[in-house]
Amino acid sequence: MFRPLSTLAVALSLMLTAQAEARPLVLAIGGEPDAGFDPIMGWGHYGNPLFQSTLLRTDADLNLVGDLATDWALSEDGLVWRLRLRKDAMFSDGTPLTAKDVAFTYNTARTAGGLADLTVLKEARALDATTVELELTEPRITFVSRLATLGIVPAASYGEGYARHPVGSGPFRMVEWREGEQLVVEPNPHWHGGEIAFERVSFIFGSEEAGQALARTGAADLVAVPPSLADGAPSGMKVLHVDTVDNRGLAFPMVPRAGETTEAGTPIGNDVTADPAIRVAINQALDREALVALALNGHGRPATGPADGLPWDNPEAAIPGNDPATAMQTLDAAGWSDTDGDGIREKDGLPARFQVLYPASDSTRQALALGASEQLREIGIDAQPTGSSWDEIGALMHSEVVVLGWGAHDPSEVFYLHHGDYAGVDYYNTGHYVNPTVDAHLEAAEAAPSFEASLAEWKAAAWDGETGFGPKGDATWAWMVNLEHAYWASDCLDLGPLQVHPHGHGFPITHDLPSWRWTCE
Amino acid sequence: MKAWLPPLLTDRLIRLAWLLPLAAVGLFTLISLAPIDPVQAYVGGRTSQIGPEQRDAIAAAWGLDRPAPERFASWLGQLTRGNLGESITFNAPVLQVIAARLPASLALVGLAFALSFVLGTALGLVAGATRGGWPDRVIRTLAVVLAASPGFWVAILLVAVFAIGLGWLPACCATPPGQLATEVTLAERWRHMVLPVATLSVVGIAPLVLHTRQSLVAFLDSPAARHLSTHGATPLRLAFGPGLRHAAGVALTLHLAGAGELFGGSILAEAVFAWPGLGQATVRAATGADAPLLMGIGLATLLFVFMGNLLADIAARLADPRLRTPA
Repeated sequence: MFRPLSTLAVALSLMLTAQAEARPLVLAIGGEPDAGFDPIMGWGHYGNPLFQSTLLRTDADLNLVGDLATDWALSEDGLVWRLRLRKDAMFSDGTPLTAKDVAFTYNTARTAGGLADLTVLKEARALDATTVELELTEPRITFVSRLATLGIVPAASYGEGYARHPVGSGPFRMVEWREGEQLVVEPNPHWHGGEIAFERVSFIFGSEEAGQALARTGAADLVAVPPSLADGAPSGMKVLHVDTVDNRGLAFPMVPRAGETTEAGTPIGNDVTADPAIRVAINQALDREALVALALNGHGRPATGPADGLPWDNPEAAIPGNDPATAMQTLDAAGWSDTDGDGIREKDGLPARFQVLYPASDSTRQALALGASEQLREIGIDAQPTGSSWDEIGALMHSEVVVLGWGAHDPSEVFYLHHGDYAGVDYYNTGHYVNPTVDAHLEAAEAAPSFEASLAEWKAAAWDGETGFGPKGDATWAWMVNLEHAYWASDCLDLGPLQVHPHGHGFPITHDLPSWRWTCE
Repeated sequence: MKAWLPPLLTDRLIRLAWLLPLAAVGLFTLISLAPIDPVQAYVGGRTSQIGPEQRDAIAAAWGLDRPAPERFASWLGQLTRGNLGESITFNAPVLQVIAARLPASLALVGLAFALSFVLGTALGLVAGATRGGWPDRVIRTLAVVLAASPGFWVAILLVAVFAIGLGWLPACCATPPGQLATEVTLAERWRHMVLPVATLSVVGIAPLVLHTRQSLVAFLDSPAARHLSTHGATPLRLAFGPGLRHAAGVALTLHLAGAGELFGGSILAEAVFAWPGLGQATVRAATGADAPLLMGIGLATLLFVFMGNLLADIAARLADPRLRTPA
């Protein structure tokens, strides 16, 4: 007997399974590099460079391990890195990767004016086929981050058009890139790193909403979602909350208003926040758990420093907070008291009042500003949340408190944020903070003979027992929260151990993409 | 003989000759005045990784450290050699960026143009023919509602109903995810076009309906139409017969002249549907203060609108001989 319906059903199910087997891994996590996949112009900084490989790489705990380099050493004067390369590395076009390619990549990137900062590099030299030397103009230990982020390009074929047709020694090779739409890659058969579990990986670009729609229709296996939506994962997908150092805090103006202005003519300094007692009291008073609950829906963790939990973070420098009683004692002792009974403390006629600026378009920063303001009112400080544009914030950030965010896998950020040389430069040291002891620690860290040796100096810069930029010392910031980055991931996708993510949601999750596994049949 | 055509073309070419430089200067002034630092926009979220010296190097490499008049002069110099400059956002020649994205946008705008013309004219004729009746009232209400609806809102509504709610059509993109361009079937491409084209058509349809209706009403009130109707021609026959000839010229002129609006609408539609066209590139260029690319797109749009207007003028003269006498 012929049963058309069941025949159809069988045919359909056959088609469906056939499709499921050939189904590539589909990721909607944004991160399309408009400028293409050229490491020399800055591609591959976060996440996996896909097409290229780097000299070193970081593991899940952010320790440096070899990738193209098998061993590496820094000269005693801290000026010359000498690295030995593996012999089996090949570009995806089948040509071998040698020290010449490495030297070419570094020398070219140094002068290219792209998004790879190699200004400290003097020269890269290939000593023989597998040995390369990188000479610096001055000792700078954070240069090691470049070793772990700059992908190597082939000297022979690099040129015009490379960014759109990349050739490298990385885990994948490009199949097709339709700009603004999607990138399709497949495993590079010449890769030195082992087997990849997917025969094709597609990255879907476009809007966040488009990615969510794809997840709901089952067309995507991993989607970056805003924290507010994270809990509503569609069936067949789990929610992944990834810890980050994508942090938000209050950046204080550190000097009194003395009539000085920046080059652009905007004011510098704030008489209220220039008093260390105010800054310390704010650090003591803030209930960061409550801020996480309020502003991040509970998806985050309290922040007490610029790099919480990273190897160069100093937990000793932290003030845990949520202690308004101690905060009020601090203010009393410093002479801030409410003499006119309006609920706001004064000192010598100056009310404890300042603006807390946040970009009006950012609802998370708005919630943080409002929450912090409420908490500070309890200890008699009038922090006025003020929504604004980035331009206006740029003009006022040297004289008012701003909700700013940072977070990188690189301690040079700690240097930029707190060293006196960067006072008033771009968004770095907005408060014009200068402490010679801290500067000395930061410089000693950069001049350290090894990355491990630099860690003690980074920590000492935050708090060395007497002073530091951390809350226990000069309290240059009141850090509030570290965000969590949320993803929906297919129940079948095993991502292995994940790194603490930097500032920037989406593409960083691909860091260990080559070792992801599919756990369903 | 089309003796009217050469003078018209000469006149328009002269107009273009002063319009293009004026637009270029205006655009460049606006971009230079925009409170966006192109270097900061280029560095974006990597502020912590790019030191001040490297920022200076970036500015120097892209010529952003020079004063605005000098940058404009060098851009002009390149333009005379047929080079529209380099886009910092895409790290590629502007011409290449535009050429890569124009086809997707043209497909969208072209289809929407044709669809809204056919639909708008037909609905306008029906409304005019049934003046005062229920089809007229329904169509007029629809036109007014559509005229008042922002395009992006219509887009979101369409996605919510037809993509998420009913699951009939894809919510985004120009092709299904995970497939190579060579693997995508033509049927799939059409399916992905339905919602964006529908959204964009809606933008241009309302004025067309109302104008067509109005010109048909005027024709139906004319002695010629009254004469025909006393001889038994029904309003609908009149509308789609001689009335169409009367109304089509006006409709086409109006529609071609409104091509610029369609182009603007496509930027919004492309954003909602993640359509890989010029609209997305325009938004990136604007938020990155990418002057060469923005100028390139601006001038391309100007040419597009200019061509639309020119075609409208020609169409009007073809449809109505009375316009052919030189003004």
